[in-house]
Amino acid sequence: MNQNPYKPINGEITSIIDESPTIKTFVVVPEEKFKFKTGQFVELTLPGEGEAPFTPSSSPAETKKMDITIMKAGRVTALLHQCKKGQKVGIRGPYGNGYPVEDFVGKQVYIVGGGVGLAPIRSLFLTLVDRIKDFKSVVCRFGAKTPDDFIYKNTLFDSWQKIDGVDMKLTVDEANNKWKSNVGVVTTILSANDVNIKNAVAVVCGPPIMMKFTTLKLLEFGFKPKDIYLSMEKNMSCGIGKCGHCMIGKYYVCKDGPVFTYEQIKSYRNIWD
Amino acid sequence: MRLSDKKKMETVFISKLKPFLDAVAEQMELYAPKKVGDYYVFQRYDSSLEVAVEFNNIRACTPVKEFLFPLRELAAVFPEPVEPEDIKPFAIFGLKDCDLHSIEILDKVFLEAEFEDPFYVARREKMFIISSDCFDPGESCFCNVLDGKSYADSGFDLNVAQVRDGFIIEIGSKKGKEFIEEHSQLFTEVPEALLNERDENRTQTQKQLEQNNAPLKFEAPIRDVMTETQDSDVYDQEATTCVECQACTRVCPTCHCFYLYDTKQKDYFGKMKMWDSCMRLAYAQVAGGANPRKVLGDRLRHRLMHKFAYFLDRYGLNMCVGCGRCVDAETGDIDIRTVLRKLNEELRNKKETKAAK
Repeated sequence: MNQNPYKPINGEITSIIDESPTIKTFVVVPEEKFKFKTGQFVELTLPGEGEAPFTPSSSPAETKKMDITIMKAGRVTALLHQCKKGQKVGIRGPYGNGYPVEDFVGKQVYIVGGGVGLAPIRSLFLTLVDRIKDFKSVVCRFGAKTPDDFIYKNTLFDSWQKIDGVDMKLTVDEANNKWKSNVGVVTTILSANDVNIKNAVAVVCGPPIMMKFTTLKLLEFGFKPKDIYLSMEKNMSCGIGKCGHCMIGKYYVCKDGPVFTYEQIKSYRNIWD
Repeated sequence: MRLSDKKKMETVFISKLKPFLDAVAEQMELYAPKKVGDYYVFQRYDSSLEVAVEFNNIRACTPVKEFLFPLRELAAVFPEPVEPEDIKPFAIFGLKDCDLHSIEILDKVFLEAEFEDPFYVARREKMFIISSDCFDPGESCFCNVLDGKSYADSGFDLNVAQVRDGFIIEIGSKKGKEFIEEHSQLFTEVPEALLNERDENRTQTQKQLEQNNAPLKFEAPIRDVMTETQDSDVYDQEATTCVECQACTRVCPTCHCFYLYDTKQKDYFGKMKMWDSCMRLAYAQVAGGANPRKVLGDRLRHRLMHKFAYFLDRYGLNMCVGCGRCVDAETGDIDIRTVLRKLNEELRNKKETKAAK
């Protein structure tokens, strides 16, 4: 029998962090050696209940454990949110291409993120700041519904902003009385002067509507479709380019993605739905 | 391969099918076509029965994928792994050229080097393919439009052609050759006249197919027709009668979408693999509710674009073999040939309007 790609390896949830009213980060320790590239995803199984795709939010440099940040959105994620420390899980993967970090070297990396979309972005961010001198700068523009809805608050509101070479701005749709930064959707804090577009790449991850309007804005600024990297959220199930659920045109998001340039997918219908 | 080359392929002759199939059934589980109503279905061959073996004129109404990629199977068990089910050798008699092409297509997906599907591999290795020539093509057969034929050139272990006095068996693989050699007492040499008769039959059937499908002529390669009309309203119009029964994807020998789901049993947790259909509303829906193909017309568009463009771009083959099973099974009256014809008309009109300008 060949290696079975449908068989997960065993793992355990060793701690759970409440990030926001609807989002938790699960620290998962795989029983076997497990390596991934930033932006790749895993299929996380709750034994007997179901499986769903998530991009780890931790740095790939961390090999003993990985963080998986999960928003309560459907059946499996709701069940995961009920899990306690010590819960056994299954892990398949890693799958997909991940972010082409080497192609970003020497450039400004313009990261636009929203909501739980900050999960894959955190992994990328940690990877980039690990070798920040290799990049011209890392420019982050992040949004959330309310200040409470931001995930990774401890680092996001503090240490990440102080890193040399990082330029960060945050916005919320709805402020509270403690909020001092911008109010408005994420596109309201984007400016054509944020980066030198000739030597920059953009990375976008967030809810479909935010990805759509951010992409349109970036095109308006003069970004080339090939320089806009989108993390596509589709219904990845088998993870190995067979079951068909995640197809965008000829692409299998699970195998050819989940990171696509806008150039690759712009001709297909309903990519933002 | 040209007909003249084919004669050189190793062939043997047998006057009756039963002794041949009995010999196969002695070695492995054999499935053979049986007519039920208007259609053939595969049934386990029982050599103790005295009824004459049926020689099917066209493909069975059920797809060969059932033998390689069953409707539902246990794909993984955990936490502790268990040994997968041991697949015994099996044979299928009466597969047609379109069926063999469908296996070639499934092979591309499930034998892909990076992620081989071990369950498919196990069945594929144990499968003994006895194909046979078509005669009297069905109303829905349109294989010739997709480079298919009424007889197979390759992809079989043995191929059977019916002639006046019996059957010509052609050897297509090492496995097939071994079988014939082991049972050499059953067979005789093929008289030259019968080979000519077989070739004449093949030519006639092929001609008939071409006549039947004469209205299906395209302005450009089908892939180009499809991509140039990918935003066509034809899909929405044709999909209005769809009742989402998913019969088209079930009987399709190349549709291979599946759904992976988890199950809780008394003593283990399992992962099941079950056929799925891209015509189903929730098929591409994500947990948050987003769905790129909420509209039926978009689902039909995706299904056909996958068959005639996306798969071709990826694997170099059309993902439709022109078997016409979906046409026969269709509850909602969608005829894939009509859709293709209408898209072609649209392209022609587009070109004519452009030329007129």
